[in-house]
Amino acid sequence: MILVPVTYKGGIYRHDEIIDLIEDLGGYIIQKHMIAQEVVLQALVPRDDIDLIRRVGKPLTGELTSSPLVGTEIAVVTPSLEIHHLPHSSCDVAEYIRRFGAKTNMVGLARGFGKRIAQLNDEERDVINEHDLAVYLLGDFETCIEHKFPVLRRGIEVPIVLCGGPSTEVLKSIIDPPVDGYVGGVGRFMHRTKESEELSRMDDVVDEVTRVLDRRREEMAKDPLSISPARLMDILSEKVDEIHEVLSPTPITVQMEGLRVKLPYDSFANRIRKTEIDEGVTIGDLADVLPSRMRDYILVRIKPFSETNLMV
Amino acid sequence: MEAVEYFEVECPEKAGGDYYRRIADVVLLDHNLIRVIWKLHIFIDPRIPLFIATGVTRKLPGIVTLRDFSDVNRKERKVTISIGDEAYLAPLLQILWERFGKERVEQPDRFTIMLNIDEGESKDLEDLPVYDPSFSIYKDLIYALQVIQPEGFKVRRQYYGDGRFYLVASEDTLPENIEELVREKFLLMGESL
Repeated sequence: MILVPVTYKGGIYRHDEIIDLIEDLGGYIIQKHMIAQEVVLQALVPRDDIDLIRRVGKPLTGELTSSPLVGTEIAVVTPSLEIHHLPHSSCDVAEYIRRFGAKTNMVGLARGFGKRIAQLNDEERDVINEHDLAVYLLGDFETCIEHKFPVLRRGIEVPIVLCGGPSTEVLKSIIDPPVDGYVGGVGRFMHRTKESEELSRMDDVVDEVTRVLDRRREEMAKDPLSISPARLMDILSEKVDEIHEVLSPTPITVQMEGLRVKLPYDSFANRIRKTEIDEGVTIGDLADVLPSRMRDYILVRIKPFSETNLMV
Repeated sequence: MEAVEYFEVECPEKAGGDYYRRIADVVLLDHNLIRVIWKLHIFIDPRIPLFIATGVTRKLPGIVTLRDFSDVNRKERKVTISIGDEAYLAPLLQILWERFGKERVEQPDRFTIMLNIDEGESKDLEDLPVYDPSFSIYKDLIYALQVIQPEGFKVRRQYYGDGRFYLVASEDTLPENIEELVREKFLLMGESL
């Protein structure tokens, strides 16, 4: 069964029927938003059943769209959280990527600004490495990007998509060794992106992020994970009751290779490790349960099949 | 930026210069400063790195006196000021409190101030300078230029006075001949510092 990421938008009336249907078909609800009279579901659903969900949703004015980034957590890295980058362009990019289903976190560096003085500290590096991909939003001058980017990428192991003011070709020519993706023409600007040309630049960012993540998915398919992150999320929310008391919008954030569980590490890590998935198989057997550098959260990294020889 | 007579961005990188032209435009518009500026020349060289913004302001409105926004009525020791424009009320009260003391300044409602002062004290009350618009405009101007400049340029020097202003910024120590450079930029606009 192949699961595809989708977004369902519809009225609040009888939306629980859609949730039940997705779950009965073997899909997973990753995130549920209730906005006034509307409900937005981000879900992974079986590819063969998309038409069925569309049919059931139609009388409820439900709409099903493909969202290639559902189930990914992306870091949007900006040199600082000052007025020079906020709310445009950083928030514009972070918000736009979110529309395609990704969970984006903005990482404002403490000392990422300037050319010679730019720095990346160990906490920032570790936080970025906890994501599936990092989008770097740099400035308008190629001299600066060429000079400071090697410092800002030091120790980053996740794929990087670099955005900057110069054209894509210029960015490609100044970055050595190459990164995974480039988007030119998205540098520093101080106005809202609403013109069609600017919006198409935002689409370019999403396309590039999707392309890089698709390639990563292909690589992962060669040595698949021992359990799908969405399924592990389902098991955790069923077996660890305290997760329902967490007020954050996504108490369990699904990533491509694991989960971020927003419970304190010290008191819950062991319990999660010992949680049983199937007869005799615990989460600890299939995944590393690690402390996250983001607050005191827990990071669950699922091991690939080649390490565990188990597939649940 | 039609309202600005001269507006140039000088930069060795063409694309970067064009972006900064747009940034300057948007920031000045957002801060309501387009009408204040007459000429503006921005120089950015990311290789040094150095940012210089020089400019000339239009003729600014003069100092606001008490006469401009209120009426003064005298009845022996009792002076009543009727306020027409509330915008200057706060600075006016500060000045009156300082000059006469809070116990002699009464404010029965938003638009009235009553003073208990003798004739000598109330003589030139109408000509009391209350607010100097140029002071806050220059502050706003320098703030806007700091928003325009590339981030991280922490070493700064700024100047304003006599209708001219400049801001130079870098992340390294400023070059020794910085004043010369600033004068050159003023000359490009057909002005002198």
